[in-house]
Amino acid sequence: CDVWERVSTGILTTESTRSPSSIGDYKITGRDSLVFLVDASKEMFIKGEDGEPSNFDMTMQVVRTVYTSKIISSDKDLVALVFYGTEESKNPRNSFKHVYVYHDLSEPGAKRVQEVDALRGEKGAKLAAETIGSGETSLGDALWCCANLYSDIKLRLSHKRLMIFTCRDEPHGGDSVKDRQARTKASDLKETGVVIDLMHLMKPGGFDISLFFCDIVSPPEDESELGLQLQPSDKLEDLLKRVRAKELKKRALARLNLCLGEGINVAVGIYATAVAARKPGSIKLYRETNEPVRSKTRTFHTQTGSLLLPSEIKKAQYYGGKEIVMERDEVDAIKKFDDPGLFLIGFKPMEKLKLHHHIRPAVFLYPEEDEVKGSSCLFSALLKKCSERNVFALCRFISRRNYPPRFVALLPQNEELDEGKVQITPPGFNVIYLPFADDFRTLDPPQFPSASQTQVDKMKEIVSKLRFKYRSEGFENPVIQQHFRNLEALALDMMAPEEIEDLIMPKVDQIDQRLGPLVQEFKDLVYPAYYNPESKPAAKRKTADTGGGAEKKPKVELTEDELKAHVQNNTLVKLTVPVLKDACKQFGVRTTGTKKQELIDALIARLRS
Amino acid sequence: MRKHGLKTAVVLCMDVGLTMSNSAPGEESSFELAKKVIQKFVQRQVFSETKIELALVLFGTDSTDNPLSQDGQYQNIRVHRHLRIPDCELLIEIENQVQPESKEGDWLDALVVCMDLLHTETKGKKYDCLNIALLTDLNTQTNEESLEVIINNLTQSGITMQFFLPFPVEEDKEGQGDSERRDPGHPGTGKGLSREQKKNMELVKEMMLSLDVEDGLDEIHTFRNAIEELCMFKRVERRPVAWPCQLTIGSSLSIRIVGYKAVTDEKPKKMWITVDAQSHQKDDVKRETVYCLDDDNETEVQKDDIIQGFRYGSDIVPFSKVDQEQMKYKHDGKCFAVLGFTKQSAVIHRHQFMGSQILKIFAARDDEHAGVALSALIRALNELQMVAIVRYAYNRTSNPQVGAAFPCIKQDSECLMYVQLPFMEDLRHFTFPSLENKKFTPSDAQLSAVDSLIDSMMLVEEDENGEQRDLFKPHRIPNPAFQRHFQCLHHRAVSPGTPLPPIEPWLKAALDRPEVITERCQDPLDVLKRKFPLTEVEKKKKLKTSAQIFEESEAKKVKEDEAEEYNLANIAEGSVTSVRIRGRQLTHRIEQLLSNKNTQYYMKSITCIQAFREQSVKLANAEHYNSYLQSLKGSIPNRGLEVFWELLVQGMICLFT
Repeated sequence: CDVWERVSTGILTTESTRSPSSIGDYKITGRDSLVFLVDASKEMFIKGEDGEPSNFDMTMQVVRTVYTSKIISSDKDLVALVFYGTEESKNPRNSFKHVYVYHDLSEPGAKRVQEVDALRGEKGAKLAAETIGSGETSLGDALWCCANLYSDIKLRLSHKRLMIFTCRDEPHGGDSVKDRQARTKASDLKETGVVIDLMHLMKPGGFDISLFFCDIVSPPEDESELGLQLQPSDKLEDLLKRVRAKELKKRALARLNLCLGEGINVAVGIYATAVAARKPGSIKLYRETNEPVRSKTRTFHTQTGSLLLPSEIKKAQYYGGKEIVMERDEVDAIKKFDDPGLFLIGFKPMEKLKLHHHIRPAVFLYPEEDEVKGSSCLFSALLKKCSERNVFALCRFISRRNYPPRFVALLPQNEELDEGKVQITPPGFNVIYLPFADDFRTLDPPQFPSASQTQVDKMKEIVSKLRFKYRSEGFENPVIQQHFRNLEALALDMMAPEEIEDLIMPKVDQIDQRLGPLVQEFKDLVYPAYYNPESKPAAKRKTADTGGGAEKKPKVELTEDELKAHVQNNTLVKLTVPVLKDACKQFGVRTTGTKKQELIDALIARLRS
Repeated sequence: MRKHGLKTAVVLCMDVGLTMSNSAPGEESSFELAKKVIQKFVQRQVFSETKIELALVLFGTDSTDNPLSQDGQYQNIRVHRHLRIPDCELLIEIENQVQPESKEGDWLDALVVCMDLLHTETKGKKYDCLNIALLTDLNTQTNEESLEVIINNLTQSGITMQFFLPFPVEEDKEGQGDSERRDPGHPGTGKGLSREQKKNMELVKEMMLSLDVEDGLDEIHTFRNAIEELCMFKRVERRPVAWPCQLTIGSSLSIRIVGYKAVTDEKPKKMWITVDAQSHQKDDVKRETVYCLDDDNETEVQKDDIIQGFRYGSDIVPFSKVDQEQMKYKHDGKCFAVLGFTKQSAVIHRHQFMGSQILKIFAARDDEHAGVALSALIRALNELQMVAIVRYAYNRTSNPQVGAAFPCIKQDSECLMYVQLPFMEDLRHFTFPSLENKKFTPSDAQLSAVDSLIDSMMLVEEDENGEQRDLFKPHRIPNPAFQRHFQCLHHRAVSPGTPLPPIEPWLKAALDRPEVITERCQDPLDVLKRKFPLTEVEKKKKLKTSAQIFEESEAKKVKEDEAEEYNLANIAEGSVTSVRIRGRQLTHRIEQLLSNKNTQYYMKSITCIQAFREQSVKLANAEHYNSYLQSLKGSIPNRGLEVFWELLVQGMICLFT
């Protein structure tokens, strides 16, 4: 998709703007799409005991979360929201009864988030009853309608997913004609590459997939029974986790070979599982109309003004008094050591991997059976043995064409499932990038006496008091959250952006309260009475270090004319206080104060007189 | 030679005399080795841009050129270069002008010339280190009477000495008997030495032992060792910058700390600059970005009329810089505040480390109280096997992070090591099919094959003394990208106009599997190969990326149907005729070709489009080209030419990169 834009904007660009950070140029050939098909029958609106939210409410919460996370992380993805079993009908040609297309397939925006919000909670249930209502059910029609949504899209879709949210395991109450129709439509959809998932929700008496839905959903990727044994979700968190797991299409950054030796190549895919999310870049708009403008970059000759072809440009670096010039392709060739791939050097015990050998986020390795048959088996054996023997594999890694090598450690990671049989960690190798000698800096660590055991023990009390369970998903990035709240407020004409909670701010009051007298006790043990850690260090030894005060800037002496000019042009403010002070001395101006304005005033008074 | 003080002056003093050219058959002569040492050393200085000053004195030269030569004294010694910061010019001179000559020079005389040079040329300036490096085979007649005076003089003026010889120094250790012990890598040792060499060797030893240096004999090197060591360009070194701050726990407990970057993904210091191909001047090339509306006329928009906006999903929200600045997330600046403590192993996953660096946190310098307080924290964490989860902000303008501070206790220092942890937004929870699948489950025989492979390829082993030996340490290897980069720069500076050299063998070897391992794993690998059948999947219709198709047909293009090609070439290669006519011919041809929906024809159309584009660029008239491409783009969906368009996009990008 980005490529599409690039060609239209960069037609006359001679150098492409390649993003240097990501590894692998894996080409994205279309948009991802996701349709939420939500049951709107009466059963969905029944509230749980103790005022637990209804299944419908919970689903809307999930839809909202997905909308906003798509806006933040993948705003090109298309999302739709369709209700079935409604009283009212609304769809493109209004050819389906009891199907209500709330949002058709497109990029989610601020307005849509608001519209989903409107369906949440008590008020939301009321609004839903008014606008869509609950009526007859024909899942076949609903699926058909969704199929039309897909085919109406002019864009190329790379990944199509449809999620059914329902708490009814027999939507048609045993009507075999409707059941059959639904099955046919489902298989039509699946044939066009749509993956159908069931997000079944809790209902009294349990949800029996085998009654009907087992024929509707797509078989799980790995053909094991895993997908169908899932328990229905009764908690929001659970449901969110399940939706999250499916909602993101995993894309390999690169597919390459892990070479163990001559002719032993295991095909693997490289996946980025942790990527620093950034504020998206700004786009340039024309002031008058707020429409986006396109940029064109040209490289031309300064003297002749003619456009320069790539062949008329070379690259240079300046060293030792000489411009060293290379052809553009030589610059690339220098970086080439070998073709992309992983090459096994050997194995090392896990404790040889040092904690501080870290230079960039890790990536993940998983076999690609489709490329080299037998990869999964060898990969699996390697994984099993590395894990059993607690060793890691050391490899040389070239991530893409014309990239210099790095060494990496392949850390085995076994598959883990939670109680609900949802995968928490996938099986595969984590790829840890290792530093070269150049990546270490020589430090001169200051030497201090170690703390005594009494002091250490006191600190241990403090540490124990502030113990908590860290979860990696526990902290939102306040910078990004604030940015999107701001945009949301502007997009929706809100008075002020929604407040964000800065989760990485220490909860000082809580900490103080928990620690109580421990802090003072610790301080009494380590700090003398007169010592204040908040104050600046007493004597700066800076002067001694840098070799005396010889570095003082030469004095800037102003002539009388210059000074007068400054007075006339009202530019005295631009001078620094020391310069002004010198000027005062020079012209015999006596000042009472030392503030800048006072100096300026005094000078003006003297020179005007 | 390895000393790099704040200001350093080094004289390289090289013997180029007659005997230096002697060599055993098939071996490099002393002259060649010594020249390599000098080249590598100078290369290192030039590309690491140190401020070390360098002079080059040659002796054994046919001519004489030095300030001390008089009345037949100090003959055959030539000051080739006076004290200066080394540059590419010096590299070129060494390459071309330092050649074997045929006289004999007295190394002690040469040393006096060097000392005199240092004296006169450093007078009045302050240096931290004065050094003379002497490279010779010691195979000359020497006037040893002056030795004592020279030693006194060296000591007085604080000049340090280094010797580089073809053979190693033999230390007169207690066991005189093992003088036979010789390093096979160093021919010409021991008995092979001439009388002069033996005598001179004694002088060298006497000198090095009487100079006021610890273990003076350590500064006598062999050519080969020196080359090996110098081969690696000095690693890119940066001075660590201190980051003073306070570690806080709650509102009333703070410890004064200082942080340093300890490990970080080091990037090359210099970027490539774009220069004009002819003049090699960067000032001749200018890049300019213009903005235009997305309409048919591509109306240009002035910079002042552009405001900034952001995408919020499908919406575009105008958001000025001023508003953005005002509304953005703000914080109190620099901080290192503890949010809480958590168990080390179970929760913190190594593969979730974020960012590109490790910080080491020490107590503030010269603050013993802070030292004790921080030590208490470090030791407490270490004993409890816990880490601190902290909020870290470098300064007011940088984004705050969440991270973990690990305790790190070494023999001589204690510190916290800080690493960034992910935010919720950074994580992608992908699920992958389970590998516990009947189809992929390895058999016992297969598992044992992997077992023996691991056995044979263990890089860490215990030697007979029970000490661990690590055969492969990536963190000791210099970044090959930098090494290669400087090798090529050096080559281009010294021999312009010649193709770049291959990667140096030592570097290749350093990046490869250790030889012992290669030998050891051969059999297990063979077994593995038999036990695990691996077959590349022949895809019936392998979905090639457009780039691949493009590359392939680019390669084929030349040979294949040249008859078809000449047409295009004719149309494409106009001289100065107007673009419009060429354009019309070209677009006509493109349309013709596009009526055949076939990759072959698509590629031809793309060639035409490229030709069209190049023409337009050449004549600086892009109007027709752009408008044609616009209309073509518009017609793609109707004509079902999406595949073609994609190929085009790929192709253009291939060309532009």
